[in-house]
Amino acid sequence: MVARTPQVALPVPRRRAFHVVIDPGARRPRVGNWIALAMTVAMAFFLLISSRVALDRSAFVLEDIERDIAAQEARYWGLRLQVAELQAPGRIAELAAQMGMVYPAELHVLEVPGLGEPGPGVEERWADLKALLGAQP
Amino acid sequence: MGERPRRGSGTRLLSVGIALVMGWTLVGYRLTVVQGARAEEFAARGLDQRLQHRTLPADRGTIFDRDGRELAVSVESVSVYANPLEMPDPARVASLLSPLVGRDPSDLLADFTDGSAFVYVARQMDPADAAPIRDADLPGVYFLAEPKRVYPTGALAAHVVGFVREDDNVGLEGLELQYDEALTGRPGELLVERDPAGRVIPQGEYQVVPAEPGSDLVLTVKTEIQYAAEGALRQALERTGARSGTVVVLDPETGEVLAMVTLPSYDPNDRDGVDEDAVRTRAVTDVFEPGSTQKLVTISAALEAGLVAPSTMFAIPSEIQIQDTVFTDSTIHDSTLSVADIVANSSNLGTILVGDLLGARLLHTFMTAFGEGSVTGIDFPGESAGSLRPPEDWCPTTCLAGTSIGYHVAVTPIQMAAVYGAIANDGVWVRPHLVREIVDGSGVRTPQQAEERRVVSQTTAVEMREMLARVVEQGTGSLAAVPGYRVGGKTGTTEIYLATAQEYSSDQVVASFIGMAPIADPKVVVVVVLDSPVEYASGGQGAAPVFSAVMLAALNQLGVPPDAR
Repeated sequence: MVARTPQVALPVPRRRAFHVVIDPGARRPRVGNWIALAMTVAMAFFLLISSRVALDRSAFVLEDIERDIAAQEARYWGLRLQVAELQAPGRIAELAAQMGMVYPAELHVLEVPGLGEPGPGVEERWADLKALLGAQP
Repeated sequence: MGERPRRGSGTRLLSVGIALVMGWTLVGYRLTVVQGARAEEFAARGLDQRLQHRTLPADRGTIFDRDGRELAVSVESVSVYANPLEMPDPARVASLLSPLVGRDPSDLLADFTDGSAFVYVARQMDPADAAPIRDADLPGVYFLAEPKRVYPTGALAAHVVGFVREDDNVGLEGLELQYDEALTGRPGELLVERDPAGRVIPQGEYQVVPAEPGSDLVLTVKTEIQYAAEGALRQALERTGARSGTVVVLDPETGEVLAMVTLPSYDPNDRDGVDEDAVRTRAVTDVFEPGSTQKLVTISAALEAGLVAPSTMFAIPSEIQIQDTVFTDSTIHDSTLSVADIVANSSNLGTILVGDLLGARLLHTFMTAFGEGSVTGIDFPGESAGSLRPPEDWCPTTCLAGTSIGYHVAVTPIQMAAVYGAIANDGVWVRPHLVREIVDGSGVRTPQQAEERRVVSQTTAVEMREMLARVVEQGTGSLAAVPGYRVGGKTGTTEIYLATAQEYSSDQVVASFIGMAPIADPKVVVVVVLDSPVEYASGGQGAAPVFSAVMLAALNQLGVPPDAR
């Protein structure tokens, strides 16, 4: 016996009609990511540029400060020189002479009695001081 | 019906295409070469153009007096230079620059037309004076910041401080030369990246090795005493007509030189046309025969050797003749003199007798101990050792006698200051010095040490000082007296030896006075030497008054109280 296939036509499954459905909800976030990325890059770029500009500006400010320091130092030495010139004995003597000042024609030496003589020792003076303080009310 | 393309347009398009391709290929090739194959080389060349190496000059140290007053400072100045090759009209630039820099226009033009690319127009100008030149913005004219050495006290202490060469601030004379290395410091280096306009590129290459500033010098010199000494010496030169003069003021205890004056002098700020003789620091470089001031050494040696005492009596002859040489005394005195009288009267004959007791070898030993015949070691360039022959070379006739009274020996004023300093310092010789301390760039102070040695005992020194006091109170040095103080010293009048004629001059002398005060405990030693005075041509008349004036000023300035009567 031979097995036969039944002559009945088997039902052919119907081809389904596929079509692309664009889900706006699914598509929107992907574009947003790109925009966010682009904006982040742009922001990072501008941040980098602005920080660079800020650093450059600081560098220029520093350079200005250094130039100021050098100028002030030069001024300081100039002033020191001026003070030294003003203090020069020759200049002072000339001014004094113009003002009518003269060297003394004679010199008087005042002698203070007791000055230069050997005085009491430290212990004695301390004892005197203690006695003096003790007598205070 | 459409227009048919004309023949040939395809070819042209092809040509343009090929040209573009070739062009872009060349650009691409070049780009590859520049950015790839030779990238490092080009980068290095570019960097080299932008990088600027600069030597940072070290600030030269300041020189202060002992009280901190500036005697030499460095200030900023501007040098103007030009590159004549960049000048479209050198004659116009020369005429515009001329009044601004104070130079003749033809002189400037000659400099601009000699083919050089670098010409100094003016050196070390004041920045304020250079400002109008900067404002004029002349083509090919540039500016250079340079330190300039300035001496604010002018001629005062000029010999001590010295000066530097204008071009490079290298010390040429005085302490500027002696301490040049310490004062100079170490230059630094700056590596900086600049744009074509010369501005520093921020974030660019920047390396700096800072310059180490030179050390400051604090001198032992006191400006007021220096000024008083210069004034007194100048008056003395006018009064006596002396050719030159020297004053040394010494602190005998420490060896510190409080003043060192040589006249004629000069202004180190303006050395144009200064005579070379005026630059010489005679106190250290020039020698003279000390004459009677040498008697201190002879008498001290005899006292120290125990051969005489101040009261030992000598019968003084009217003259001593040794072969053709006749020694006499210039002062009238008794026929019998004590050693103290010999000193007070400056008796040559008495001193010769004392010297005879000593003998050449012993006298030479003491002279050497006092530092004669060798440099003192003062921190100053060009010091002379003087002249002292060994006793074996002394002639058997007049040499001992002559040396006893200060002939046949040559000394410098600074040597004699140290000799008298030893007697003032109770017999201890201290090396004279001019720098008290060196202060480096970070403020570390290094005090200068002065070596010392005992020459004679304290007893001998005290006895000698008493005898020196009698010279002023009763003897030849009365004009050296200082009101309020007991001073001691010795006059000296020496005939000048004329080397060409090989004989002593009959009318030219060196007049000197060396002394100390207060005699009980001397704080100051003053040496005065006048070369060839015409009037008042003796130590007692010419030099002693200078000593008095300088000593009074020094004692007052140092706050030494007057002696109690």
